[in-house]
Amino acid sequence: MRTHCGRRSGADRRLTRRDFVRLTGYGAGAAAVIGGSRRRAGAAASYPDFLPASPNPSKRGGVLTRASAWDPPVIDPRLTQSVGTFQFAGLTSNRLVRYVFADEATGAADLSLKGDLAESWQSNADFRQWTFKLRQGVKWQNVPPLNGREFAAADVKYCFEQYAREGVQTFTFQEIEGIETPDHRTVRVHLKTPNVFFPQALAEPIAILFAREVLEQDGDLKKRLIGTGPFILKEHTRKVRVVLQRNPDYFDQGRPYVDEYVILSTPDAATRLAAYRTGQSDFIWVASPSEVETVRKTNPSTVVQSYHNSLAPFGLALAQDKAPFSDVRVRRAVAMAIDRQKQVDTVFEGHGILGWGVPYVYYQDKAPTAADFGPWWQYKPAEARRLLADAGHPNGFDTTLFYYEYFPQMTSQVQLVQQDLKKNLNINVRITKLDYTTYYGRYVESKWDGMSWGFQSGHAIGVDERTYQYMHSKSTKNFFRVNDAVIDELTTKLRRTPDRAEQRALTKKIVDREFDQVLRLWMPYDNGFLVFHPHMRNVAAPALRRTDGYGSPALARAWMDK
Amino acid sequence: MQKYVLRRVLLAIPVLALSSLIVFGLMRVMPGDALTVLMGESGNVGERELASLRADLGLDRPYHEQYARWLWQLVSLNPGHSIFTNEPIAVSLTKAIPVTAELATLALLIGLVVAVPIGVISATRQDTASDYLGRLVAVSGLSLPDFWLATLVITFAAIWFHWIPPIGYVSLWDSPWRNLQQFLLPAAVLGFRLAAATMRMTRSTVLEVLREDYVRTAWAKGLGGRIVVYKHALKNALIPVVTIIGGQLGTLLAGTVIVETIFALPGMGRLTVEAILFRDYPVVQTNVMLVAGTLVALNLVVDLTYAWLDPRIRYR
Repeated sequence: MRTHCGRRSGADRRLTRRDFVRLTGYGAGAAAVIGGSRRRAGAAASYPDFLPASPNPSKRGGVLTRASAWDPPVIDPRLTQSVGTFQFAGLTSNRLVRYVFADEATGAADLSLKGDLAESWQSNADFRQWTFKLRQGVKWQNVPPLNGREFAAADVKYCFEQYAREGVQTFTFQEIEGIETPDHRTVRVHLKTPNVFFPQALAEPIAILFAREVLEQDGDLKKRLIGTGPFILKEHTRKVRVVLQRNPDYFDQGRPYVDEYVILSTPDAATRLAAYRTGQSDFIWVASPSEVETVRKTNPSTVVQSYHNSLAPFGLALAQDKAPFSDVRVRRAVAMAIDRQKQVDTVFEGHGILGWGVPYVYYQDKAPTAADFGPWWQYKPAEARRLLADAGHPNGFDTTLFYYEYFPQMTSQVQLVQQDLKKNLNINVRITKLDYTTYYGRYVESKWDGMSWGFQSGHAIGVDERTYQYMHSKSTKNFFRVNDAVIDELTTKLRRTPDRAEQRALTKKIVDREFDQVLRLWMPYDNGFLVFHPHMRNVAAPALRRTDGYGSPALARAWMDK
Repeated sequence: MQKYVLRRVLLAIPVLALSSLIVFGLMRVMPGDALTVLMGESGNVGERELASLRADLGLDRPYHEQYARWLWQLVSLNPGHSIFTNEPIAVSLTKAIPVTAELATLALLIGLVVAVPIGVISATRQDTASDYLGRLVAVSGLSLPDFWLATLVITFAAIWFHWIPPIGYVSLWDSPWRNLQQFLLPAAVLGFRLAAATMRMTRSTVLEVLREDYVRTAWAKGLGGRIVVYKHALKNALIPVVTIIGGQLGTLLAGTVIVETIFALPGMGRLTVEAILFRDYPVVQTNVMLVAGTLVALNLVVDLTYAWLDPRIRYR
């Protein structure tokens, strides 16, 4: 039979079923070989949790590039606390004070303050008046309209007043009753109430100082961000890149070391990984040990820092102002019925923390273990059932849980909680997964019933932020709806306690009370890894900050050995 | 013909009006707004301040007023500003449209270049190994989701070739070679899906046409295979193919959302998704209307192409 193009008959070339089965068999076999060659994630080698500064002399030059998950929503620091903005805003601008960088820190838990634009600072006896002496010879970046003019005390006053007036940083700055500038290098801040942690609040990345001229000319800071920092913002193209250029007039002479820092907007995790593998990104963050192993297969010389979180940002928020969660026995029963270790082992491949809300570095030296949390945080289903029966719910109850999937593993966590509560307490949890805005609006409104997957944001790490701001019943950030007189008293007292040892003791009391009353039900969180090419120096992350996010100011110390 | 075109253009008006109502309504039904995200982020902004900001942006006005104001902005070609970034929407669009247009055009080209020849080969060699292979490729294209294929492509490109498209979009005019490197893989991923559907349609219509009397006559006249297939059969076979391409353009635009995200391209897809997530009403509404208008226009073009391809088709 002749075909239309004079080729062989179709019947001659027809594939038989047998051929098909044979071919697919080869395919399946090949897939099995590829799959089998993958090493188990659990076999991940252990990596150092802190990398000290390089002892070699720093080298100048090079372009540092990073594929970033975040894109700045706006660059106006008054209007956002987004990590997308503060992954570079702390490099264009300075604060009055800062936490030590990795190359100055004695270890991962070193939380000492250093002067940034301030040379020194001190308070009066009742901690309501703070005086900051500014560093001499600091200049604004040499770009219009600042053109390198000298930085002065009046700039600080102006910025703080603007922060207090509008935007999302008002909470911190509305604490200020008044500001004096006795001379051009002195700023005296009067607070409405005593706060020993005020310098820590100013060391947060969100407290950067911006240029008065830009705000006055543009009406906002959405187009230009000019500061005194180590890098000048050369380009910001939304959803494409941020390019920072070395500021030759930076007050910390000789720094920064790299000529340019380019942040490439790369929303997809697989693409970021591919960018690192192909050298388009000098460093990235990966969540799991198996990802580290995957990277090391193609890039065996990769340097890895195993990060250890000092707090968990997510936990179960219970509507504790309403039944049934207003009963502490119910909260304790729920806490005892959830197997958190299982979440660490399965969801985070063993590389995660069990979960706590106040960074442990503020009250003890070593990361807490399960035993440190007290009796209600041990996985004891039988006792949980008894406690729930005592509270009048022998047959469990129905409740709801809404969440936004901040990262893929979170859905697995939510489902494990649902499973544990059903299996151990016969509590039926109806889960609703929401988009970010819906979740956010509902969560912060604090009128929901049942449970929510709650959070504390990462922009501020001070002990005051993590205790008073998040737990005091009158605080606007009390999203977990804590209403406990003891906590109110302890957190207020902590703000007025200057002695470090007493602060640690008080913080411990707050944490113990939180765990005892199950005021916030923290959930495990991944530790993650900072992965960088071997030519990178001084990019290791200290205790509370990752150098790719809010801790980016540390990149002024990074250099490239190539 | 002119009357037909006019009728189609007039018909587009109610379609677009309905689209505008749907997108406006849906955005208002969704809980939360841009200010909740932007200002409520820290939990520091009081209800009074939020209310004042809403009033500044006109979000406190009754819905019919907001709708009328937006429609007026649209028809006067001044869609306003993004709530989130304060950037004029026209500026955002002039940045995003070329990216998506380039991606979609390349994908369409790749799709057609792959689909039509394979579809023809598949049909002319029916039930042979090449036909099976062509059909396997087509079924794969329809079955494999874009996000999976794109992730696979970028991952294996990095592992096998130690290369991925350069991240950080550059325009065609600034650096054509770099731009081409950035677009080739994502366009291939998008084009693969388009090719799959087109390939199947080409195969079946060519098969059908090859059994027509006039084709048999051509064979009987002793014409060569290529002339019969490519000159006599293909043109008629392509009419339904053009229809399916028109229908696929919507899918193609939807696919750009994922592909732009994975390949880090700042096109319409990413712009719209981000605007939806952040409830940036003016941006979402304008983008959706732009896409709706584009699809209406493309369908009109497809209908007009029929006439060109088949002179028997006349519009009265």
